[in-house]
Parts: sequence; C-alpha cells; structure tokens
Amino acid sequence: MLGSFAPILILFLIAVFIAVFVITVSSLLGPRRSSPRKLAPYESGMEPIGPAIRRIPVKFYVVAMLFIVFDIEVVFFYPYALVFRQLAVPGLIAIGVFFLVLVVGFVYEWRKGALTWE
Amino acid sequence: MESLQIPPVDLRLLTPLLIVVGWAGALLLIDVFFVPDGRKKITGYLAIAGLAVAGLAGIPLWNLSGSTFSGMLVLDRYSLALTWIFLIAGALSIAVALDYLPRHAIEQGEYYPLIMFAVGGMILMAQSADLITLFLGIELLSITLYILTGFAYPRVASEEAGMKYLVLGAFAAGFFVYGIALIFGATGATSLAGIAAYLGRQPFAPQEETLFLAGASLVLIGFSFKIALVPFHMWTPDVYEGSPTPVAAFMSVGTKGAALAALLRVTLALEEAQTFWLPILAVLAAATMILGNLGALGQSNLKRMLAYSSIGHAGYILLGIMVAAERGAEAFLFYILAYTLTNLGAFGVLIALEQRGEAAWSIDDFAGLYQRRPLLAVAMALFMFSLAGVPPTAGFMGKFFIFTAAYAGGLGWLVLIGVLTSAIAAYYYLRVVVKMFMQEPVREVRPELTRGLNTEILIAGVATLILGLLPTPIVLLVERSLVALGG
Amino acid sequence: METLPILSLILWLPTLGALGLLLAPRDNAELARRMALIVALLTFVVSLALPFGYRATPGDASTMRFVENLPWLPMFGASYSLGVDGVSLWLVLLTTFLLPIVILSTWDSVHTQVRNFQILMLLLATAMIGVFISLDLLLFYIFWEFTLIPMTLLIGIWGGSNRIYAARKFFLYTFSGSVLMLVAIIGLYVLHRDALAIGQPGYTGTFNFTTILANLRGGALQLDATIERLLFGAFFLAFAIKVPLWPFHTWLPDAHVEAPTAGSVILAGVLLKLGSYGLIRFNLTLFPEASRWAAPAIAILAVIGIIYGAIVAFAQSDMKKLVAYSSVSHMGFIVLGIFALNHEGVSGAILQSINHGLSTGALFLIVGVLYERRHTREMAEYGGIWKVMPVYGGITLLVTLSSAGLPGLNGFIGEYTIMQGAFLAPELSWPFLGFAVLGVVLAAVYLLRMYQTVFMGDLRNPENQDLNDLNPRELTTLAALCLPIIALGLYPAFAFEPMQASVGEVLTGIATAVAGR
Repeated sequence: MLGSFAPILILFLIAVFIAVFVITVSSLLGPRRSSPRKLAPYESGMEPIGPAIRRIPVKFYVVAMLFIVFDIEVVFFYPYALVFRQLAVPGLIAIGVFFLVLVVGFVYEWRKGALTWE
Repeated sequence: MESLQIPPVDLRLLTPLLIVVGWAGALLLIDVFFVPDGRKKITGYLAIAGLAVAGLAGIPLWNLSGSTFSGMLVLDRYSLALTWIFLIAGALSIAVALDYLPRHAIEQGEYYPLIMFAVGGMILMAQSADLITLFLGIELLSITLYILTGFAYPRVASEEAGMKYLVLGAFAAGFFVYGIALIFGATGATSLAGIAAYLGRQPFAPQEETLFLAGASLVLIGFSFKIALVPFHMWTPDVYEGSPTPVAAFMSVGTKGAALAALLRVTLALEEAQTFWLPILAVLAAATMILGNLGALGQSNLKRMLAYSSIGHAGYILLGIMVAAERGAEAFLFYILAYTLTNLGAFGVLIALEQRGEAAWSIDDFAGLYQRRPLLAVAMALFMFSLAGVPPTAGFMGKFFIFTAAYAGGLGWLVLIGVLTSAIAAYYYLRVVVKMFMQEPVREVRPELTRGLNTEILIAGVATLILGLLPTPIVLLVERSLVALGG
Repeated sequence: METLPILSLILWLPTLGALGLLLAPRDNAELARRMALIVALLTFVVSLALPFGYRATPGDASTMRFVENLPWLPMFGASYSLGVDGVSLWLVLLTTFLLPIVILSTWDSVHTQVRNFQILMLLLATAMIGVFISLDLLLFYIFWEFTLIPMTLLIGIWGGSNRIYAARKFFLYTFSGSVLMLVAIIGLYVLHRDALAIGQPGYTGTFNFTTILANLRGGALQLDATIERLLFGAFFLAFAIKVPLWPFHTWLPDAHVEAPTAGSVILAGVLLKLGSYGLIRFNLTLFPEASRWAAPAIAILAVIGIIYGAIVAFAQSDMKKLVAYSSVSHMGFIVLGIFALNHEGVSGAILQSINHGLSTGALFLIVGVLYERRHTREMAEYGGIWKVMPVYGGITLLVTLSSAGLPGLNGFIGEYTIMQGAFLAPELSWPFLGFAVLGVVLAAVYLLRMYQTVFMGDLRNPENQDLNDLNPRELTTLAALCLPIIALGLYPAFAFEPMQASVGEVLTGIATAVAGR
C-alpha cells in the first residue's frame, strides 16, 4: 500500500539532494571576499532605511481573518455547485446550515464593528 | 452521472449537542444585539438556561442508543452520562463567572457562548466513535479555550497563558492529526470500530504494524498534552495560573474529563493492541501520579497547587481507563463526577478570595479564613479532604472504586503507587486546612461571596458529601450507563 | 432485641447531637456544653444496655451480638453491618463512658469556640464507636479514616503553642499508615471475590468481615503465605502507628502535649485503642499464620517500647510529656499481650486497653487541673500540693497507683494477665516476662517520682499557696473515673466473663495454625 508512494519519496529525495548539492558546491568553490557593503541587507543598492521588520496595523490581520471566512465559503460552494442537482434537497439543507453558521459569524463581526476601518 | 447520496442522519441522537451549539450561536447574536453593556449577566443566565435545556433534552434519550453520520457519532448511555457531567461543569463554571468577570473588569458577553461552545466540543468528544470527529471535538474545545485563557486581556499573565496554551495546543493537535493519518495508512480506517476490526485480523504486515504503532503513539501524545499527563504537563501550572480563575476551573475538569473520556473509548477500541498500549499507559499513569503530586508539594500559590493536583488526579483516572473493560469504566465515570464537583468547589472558594487586580493566590490568604468565614472554610476543608481522598467524601469513594477496579484488573503495583502518592498529596491538601483553621490571618482579604458563587459552592459541597456517604444511587446510574458500552 | 437498632442509636446519637449543635447560637458556650453533655450522657445510658443485653453463649459459631445489616453498596457487596462481641463490647462502653467526662472537663479547659469543639468531639465519638462496631471492612475503613479529621482539628485549633506541627504530624503519620491498609482491604476483597467466583460465577464479592472470615476458615478462600504476610503487614502498619508501637510512636508525644486536655484524654483513652482493637480484630483473626510468623519480632518491638517509653518518661520534667511517654510504655504492654497469641495475653490486652483508657485519661485530666490553675506543667514549679489540695492529691494517688499497677486496682489485673500470657507463650517465655516486669518497676519509679515531686514535701513555691482544691465539676469527672478503676481492680471477672467466648473465637485460627505446624 505504501509502495505506491515510493516515486514521490524518490522525487523528494532528488529535490533535496540537488538543493543541498548546489549550495554546498557553490559555497565550497566560490571565492569569499566580504565587505560591509556586501553584508548589508539588499535594498536595490540604496542605503537600508529603518528596521527590517515593520509593524503592520492590527486591522490588516482582522481583514485577513475575515477574508479567510469567505475564502472557505467559496471553497465549499464551488464543489457544491457541481453536484447541486444530484444532492437535491438534503444537499440544500446541508449547505444552508453551513451558510447559516457563517452568517452568524459575519453578523457578529459586523455588530462588533470589525468591519469599520476607523 | 450517478446520483450522490447523503447518508441518512438521525439528529435525535445529537439533541443535547445541537441544543448547546445552536443556543451558543444564537446567544452570540442575542448578546450583541439585545444585551446592553454592564448587564451581561443576562447572557450568563441565558447560557445556564441553555445548558439546562440540553440536559433535560437528554433524559428521553436514556433508553435510546445508536449511531449516525455513518457511524462517526454514537449515542449511548456512557456518552449521555458524560454529557450531563459536562453540562454541570459548564453551568457551574458560568455560575462562578457571573460576578467574577465584572469584579475583575473583564466582563464581555462572549464568555458565556464560548463556554457553551467548549461544552459542545466536549460532548462531541464523548459521542465520537471516529478519530476525525474526535479531532473536531478537541479542536472546538481547544480553540474556544485558547480565547478563554486569554480572556483577562489586559493582564499580561493571561495573554501569556493564552499564547502558551495556543502554541502547545497546536503542537498537540498536529501530533494528533499526524497520528490519525498514520493509523489510517496502516489500517485503512479512522473509525474506532474499523480500527478494532482491523486489529482483530492479526497478524498484519510488519511495516503496517510499525506504521500503526507510530500512529497510535502520536495520538497518545496528543491526548497526553490535552490531559496534561507527565511528561506533557509542563504547560498546566502556567496556563492555569494565568487564565481567569473560572476558566482554569473549567479547564481542570472539562478538558481533562472530555479527553480522558475519549481516551477510554480509544483504549477499548485498541483492545487487540493492548500489549503495546497498556504498558505505555501504565508508565504514563505512574509518572503522572508521582510527579503531579510531588510538584504540588512545593507550591505556595494555591492556583498552581490545584493545577499540579489536577495533574495527579489525571493519573488516578488513567488507572480506571486501563481496566475499562472490567469495572474500570464505572469507576472512571464516578471519579470524573466526584472530581468535577470537588474541584469546581475548590476553585469556587479560590474565586471568592481573589481580590481585584491582584495576581496572587498565596496560600497565606487562606490563613485564618475560618475565623472570618467559617462556612467557606468548612466548605474548602471538605473539598481539600475530598481531593486528598479522606472519607466520607466523594473523593474517597472515587479513589476506592478506581483502586478496587485497578487491583482486580491486575494493576496492584500501580494501586500501590496510587495510595502512596495520595499519602503525599494529603500533605499539601492538609496545609490549606491547617492555614484556614489553625493560623491567624496574615493580611486582610475580604472574601466576596455572591449569589452565583454561593450556589456553586453549596451545590459542590453537598454533592461531595452525598457522593461520599450514599453513593449507591449514583453508582447504580453509572453502572446502567455502561450497559451499552459493552467493552 | 431485633426491634431496636441499639448500635445504630449509639453510633448516630452523637452525630445527631453535633447536627443539633450546628443550629445552636455560635457564641453561647454554656448552652453548647450543656447540649453536648446531655447527648453524651444519653449515649452512655443507651450503651449501658450493651453489657446487660450481651449473652455470650459458648459454642455459638459467632459471638457477635446486636447485629445489624443493611445493604449500602450492593454492587460491591459493602453493607452497613454493625455488631459487638466480647472484644469490642468494653471498648464501646469505654468510649461512651469517657465522652461525657471529656465534655464535662471542657468547662474548665476549653474557652474559645466552645460550640465547635463540642461538635468535633461528638463527631469524633461517632467515628470511634463506628470503628469498634463496624463489621464491614469498607465501613470500618471509612470510620477509621474519619477519626483523623476531627482529631486533627481538635489538636490544631485548641492545642498549645506548637499545635500546628503536632496536628500535621498526627494527620500525616496516621494517614500514611492507613492508606496501605486500604490496599490490603481492597486486596482481600478481590482475592475473596475471585476465589468464590470460581464456584458461583458473577459473585460480586463482599466486604463483610464475618463472611470473609468464615470463608477463610472454611477453606473457600486460601491465602498464599506471602500474600497473607503482605496483607498482615499492611494492616499491621496502620494499627502499629495508631497504637503507637515503637518505633512508630514519634507522633504521640507531640500530639499529646499540644492537644487540649479533653483532646488528650480522648486520644489516650480511646483513639490509641483503635489500634489495639484492630490488631486483635483483623490481624490476629484474619491472618493467623502470619501472626504466628511475625509475633516474636513484634513482641520484641513491644518490649523495646515498654522499656524505651518508661526510660524517656523518667527523663521528662513536663508532666504531660511524662504521661504521654508512659502511654508508649503501656501500649507496649498491650501489644505484647496481643502477640502472646494466647487466651491470657489477648484478654489481658483488652482489659489493659480499658485500664489504660481510664487511668491515663484520668492522669491527663489531673495534669489539666494543675495546668488550668498555674499554666505550667513543669514539675519543678510544684511541690507540696497535697497541703493545699488534699482531695486532689488523694485522687491523684489512686490514679497513679492504678497506672503503676498496684494490686487491688485495675492496672495490676491487666498487666498481670498480659505477663502471664507472655510467659505462657512458647516463643516469648522468660526473657519477655523479665522485660515486662522491668517495665512495671520503671513505671512505678517514674510515676511515683512525679507524685513525690508534685505533691509531697514542703510548699516551696509561693504561687502555689492559694490554689483551690477541686471544684465540684472536676471532682465529678475524676471520681467517675475512679469508680471503674476500683471496681475493675476488685472484681475483674465481671469484665473478663463476656470476653471469653469472643477471645476464644479470635484465637481459633491461631490454634489451628499451631496445630498445623
């Protein structure tokens, strides 16, 4: 049963090998002459400005999380659309319940003010 | 194109679960739309009402049993009995929080629906006969608890607890899912019945056996994290200490109870693999009993002490699980009930003493409690003696049932460790009693007893005594509840 | 007799009294004392029915009387079964007799939280009586463990300066000792169930002492020698700590010295007897082979205890400590008698349990009398007390002589019978008798030295000039104790007679064990 996964494993091993091989060989063969400029973070040749990691307003995260909700909704709706006729009424009920749960979450967010940008 | 069939679903079997989850969802909206700030207690009362309705709805199911969702969820008396225990735990945790939250200025209506969702997750775990639904239940419970542990939001300790619990919980979930995948790879089934049937067809190929054992071990590790078995217990004291006390109380009985209940089902399903499974459980149980109780010895923070004590108790409960096929399952159910009530009571007293804005639960705050609040001190003493297993309390009866079942099941050496560690445990429980009754107050602590808290402590205290003196009706109920489990 | 559950009445009357006291106002000390006293007297009066209703007919299979049996945990075969036989009869009576005396003494020795003291004392009485009359192992264990809670609180709340240490030590020592007994009880239950389940499938087992004993003797349940010794050991440890047998005695002096007078009296008078009772009822009866096996070693510990307790008692300057260590010595006698494994030894041990309860209880009360007046127990502080308190001095002399074993008083009868038993036991014989006699001599030395220092000589300390003699209440308590001390000394047959059949019953297993060798 596991044997059918063997090609994937082999492929994986080959990929790892190539990556490791290339990096090792280049680090062994390549000349190494470092200067402060070379060690600096790469910013298209400009002087680096500010810290590398910037703080992002938390609102973006909220929006991102809201997006996931609708994302998942769509992910489930697409396959459902394909079998819409075969599943008939029971399917409609099931997807209705699923949709209801999302709506509860959505309404809650809306009332809590998660959708207002300010 | 062939027609797809959705397998028939018998929602009757899930009545309590559906009521709890549905009510929780509705309550979330009711809270946002209709309950004004500052009167969030209304939400709490509604939540308790919902749990009560779910409990009542379970009564007609007593004589019903069956499975639904293609056998992924089952209803039997075992799950129903657990459902009731979880509902009680949830309701009591809400009762103690009613006044705790405003007193600590962290009142938000979401607390109550979240507890309900967590209870729903616990019921789901008790009803699942499939690793997938089990995982769903664990996640529903855990995700709500991640939020609840961080509920005292401005307090750093609470945030830290939430973060810690989230990271470790996610790890545990990862182990668990990976374990399920490996088990599926080996046996081709995720349902407990399917796995048991596969194991019954021994011998199987060695590579599959390795795969299965690895998967089972990973699942066990996932369980161990949730139950806080040694050596996967490290998070417990920190998380309990940081999280709001009602949440800690709920976690100490809820998560543990539900995960142990599920572990019992898994253990029964793995009966064919018990030569592998039981020795591991035995080592875990021994380590948990010993290190949990030793850890509690040095604690001067009562919340941490109760955290370690809850670790130790999980060890005793594990004994019941190991001999579940014999009378261990009964003992397990009784112990869970006794422990739930006692521990919630003890946390209730802790909540009464917790002062606003302070993060200290020093044992010194209990000094001289007897002179200030004799009844509260007597109740706490009762809970401490029950946790220590001194008769005539529920805790003693629970220990007695567990030890008897374990001894009869041939686990004499674990019983020996059990009684010796409970002698160790007596030391730290007694310390609280000594403080309360025999020493003078060290600093001014004004216990705040409100209606919800009073009711909770009263219920827990009376139940602790009754279960200790006249356990017969409950034991009979428990015994009947296991007819369907069969073993 | 079948109509009135007299044992239940005796057992639960104190608890009912305690519940009644809960309703009484908190601060009314006088009312609380009176209520408790009435309940205690009532219990004592009811318990008087026991010796009169007790008819031991020789040849009867069981000597249990007043047996009550109600199902309690049917799925485990645990039941609410009570009964008394010749072994427990006098111990129950001792408890109910000491209870009103102790409560009477609280007028003088307990001044804070009086109501709660009485509640705990009454609960403790129920627990102790329960231990003596339970015929169900689980019920027995529950009562046994429950004695810890009230006693610990009595020591810890009303005790002396070092009370917390003493209370904690008392609790932890005895609790650790008895958890192993729980394993042994469970083990015995499971072994018994499994053994009988062969003959009758689906047998739920039983915790009933009489049934298990009958099956042990009938051969339906046969214990492997190692298992029997392990079970014996687990029971023994619990009881030895309670007795306390040397070297498990270290909690006793602390507990005694720190406990309030009433607590010491009940501790010495009854609580220690739970241990000696357990040894006779369970160790000797259930595990005769193992008893024979362990008897010599235990007898050696007992003798060490006798001598050690006596020597340490001699070195004390604190009267209460002296009496506490004398307890270690006296309880050594009792254990020696028990493990003589013959009729004389065991009956002597039972009688000596009663005697020790009476005379040591009285001694603690006597020490309490002086302590309440002068708030010191140092012997050096006193001297010539006889001159100011003649009645007190007289009673003390009587009690001291009783404790030292003067012929004509109760102590002599008990110790003599025990020594006779030790002498007759083939494994013990001369050397043990010698040490026991030495113990008696030493007891006379330290007790009389105490008496001499405190009561004789001149009244040197001016603070003792105007001490009042006994008040009527103190006189009543002490006189009440003196009554049985004299009565048992003059007519011991009254006490021995009901014991005979039961002691014979206890020793039947031992006898066959001897014959089997």
